[in-house]
Amino acid sequence: MTTLPPPAAPLAPPNPDALATNAMITVNEVSKFFGSIVAVSDVNFAIDGGVTALLGPNGAGKSTLFRMICGLTAPSKGSIRVLGSDPRTDRTVRGRISLVPQQDALFDHLSAIEMVQVSANSHAMPDPKGIAHWALEQVDLADVGAKTVGQFSKGMRQRVKVACALVNDPEVLILDEPLTGLDPVQRRHMIALFHALGDAGRCVLVSSHVLDEVARLGSRVLVIAQGRLVASGDYRDLRSLMDDRPLRIRIGASAPRRLGTALVERGLVTALSLDAHNGPGHLIVDTLDADGLGRKLAPIATELDIRLTEVSPLDDDLESVFRYLVEGR
Amino acid sequence: MTDKTQALRRPASDQPTTERSVPALAALQLSYRVVLRQLTSIARIIALTLLALVSTVAAFALGRSDADLEAAVRLISALGFAVVIPVVSLVFGGAAVGDLRDDKTLVYLWLRPMDRWPIVVGAFLAAVTLTAPITLIPVVLAAVLTGTGGGIVPGTIIAGVVAVIAYCAVFTLLGVWLRKVIVWGLAYILIWEGFIALGGAGVARFAIRKYTRSILVDRTGVDLDLADFSTPVGIIVPLAVAVVALALGSWRLSNQDID
Repeated sequence: MTTLPPPAAPLAPPNPDALATNAMITVNEVSKFFGSIVAVSDVNFAIDGGVTALLGPNGAGKSTLFRMICGLTAPSKGSIRVLGSDPRTDRTVRGRISLVPQQDALFDHLSAIEMVQVSANSHAMPDPKGIAHWALEQVDLADVGAKTVGQFSKGMRQRVKVACALVNDPEVLILDEPLTGLDPVQRRHMIALFHALGDAGRCVLVSSHVLDEVARLGSRVLVIAQGRLVASGDYRDLRSLMDDRPLRIRIGASAPRRLGTALVERGLVTALSLDAHNGPGHLIVDTLDADGLGRKLAPIATELDIRLTEVSPLDDDLESVFRYLVEGR
Repeated sequence: MTDKTQALRRPASDQPTTERSVPALAALQLSYRVVLRQLTSIARIIALTLLALVSTVAAFALGRSDADLEAAVRLISALGFAVVIPVVSLVFGGAAVGDLRDDKTLVYLWLRPMDRWPIVVGAFLAAVTLTAPITLIPVVLAAVLTGTGGGIVPGTIIAGVVAVIAYCAVFTLLGVWLRKVIVWGLAYILIWEGFIALGGAGVARFAIRKYTRSILVDRTGVDLDLADFSTPVGIIVPLAVAVVALALGSWRLSNQDID
């Protein structure tokens, strides 16, 4: 586990010794290798009922971790317990888990109601047709249940997948990027549904690579980057940590050296360099007070009679957040 | 929009139990129905029916030319049992589980409280359901149209049924095990059965075609190379191969990674 840089309120690194043995999902020292590629490395966590968000950039190992939790692939090292059983080998526990896979895969020749009915039948549910109707109602697709899913938009297909996952009233619900392709209204609707399930005691584990989504998904966050669990804890702590990190900004100006000197003198930047890659009129600054810099930059430029040509953040993306969490830079 | 608190209340009779498990027969029926719908493509069925009708047309032409029984048996063996039945079986058998794997829908059957073997057997039966009428009707009709009699029709029926079952099972296994199953299947049909297995009796034992030819030869009395098994052996060995293939496919499906 990488030690986080010292934030104001540090996120709790998962402690293997503290893993609850009776948690709904227990991931213990789990690694997954594909040849020489390490997809997941020494991951530990235990989670119980409620909504937990798994946050990580694309390729971080989220889907591989989810596949292992569902038993679709075995860990190369370590062990996973879901509801006290090994999901890879225990057949009955699979009836208590549901997965919304990331891939856009459905039986395209079936209607939505048939697709969800197949899912209900495959869980040996009584009254599969009634359950399928109920599940489609949950995702606002009851009206179009007779249409074949091959004709559906990406967002509708995503909701069919969620409906399929609801039919068995799962105790553990794993959702791999379930909000992809949904419009804002449907996103809100889905998030409310996940919270309702979590409030009902279900263990809902949702992955996302979008920070704002995670903010709405739940307060509990697992952060995974480069196959490693780099942090876990409350989302607000993560947000605070991100807000406290230095931001790097490129500034284009008619007199970059003079502007840079003024910014340093007034304590608005912590580091500064001339940006040779973008021509002579640019400098790159690091700041801990992006808001203050934003407010004062234009007045300072006016005062010094300097023309600003560009102000753009260089690391306001998720990758840089993870880089900061993992590497402290 | 449905109120969530209200919506999550399911009917009391629908509450699941924690020990729910799908009975084998129900799982088999489910797999069969899903795969059958998945495989049923009008374009595919028309194309393969046209392929199968080649043997019928050729046999009709042969029948019009007063050919003898040996020529008729050679035609049925060369077209029906070497091309039509293996290729159509490959398309449907290979796609039975292979398509689910490739389009990543297998997870909807795999991640369920059910055994693996009904998934494989259901998929195999779906492949047989489509392969049998598309191949057997034109090939048996071809045998009839040769007009030679002499046991060629019953021989073709028996050998055809055995061939469909054996090829579909083997190609279902390949679909579970391998990606690009069509390439591997064609390699088996064209290179192994069509070339290497013709090299000698020892190697030919490992080709399904040797057994179906043997049935045809045994029923007609015509002398063909590498077809010296009795009818019972010609039936039992391919069927045993089919059972082993399905068992291997089930084992493999239990242990492989699923996307």
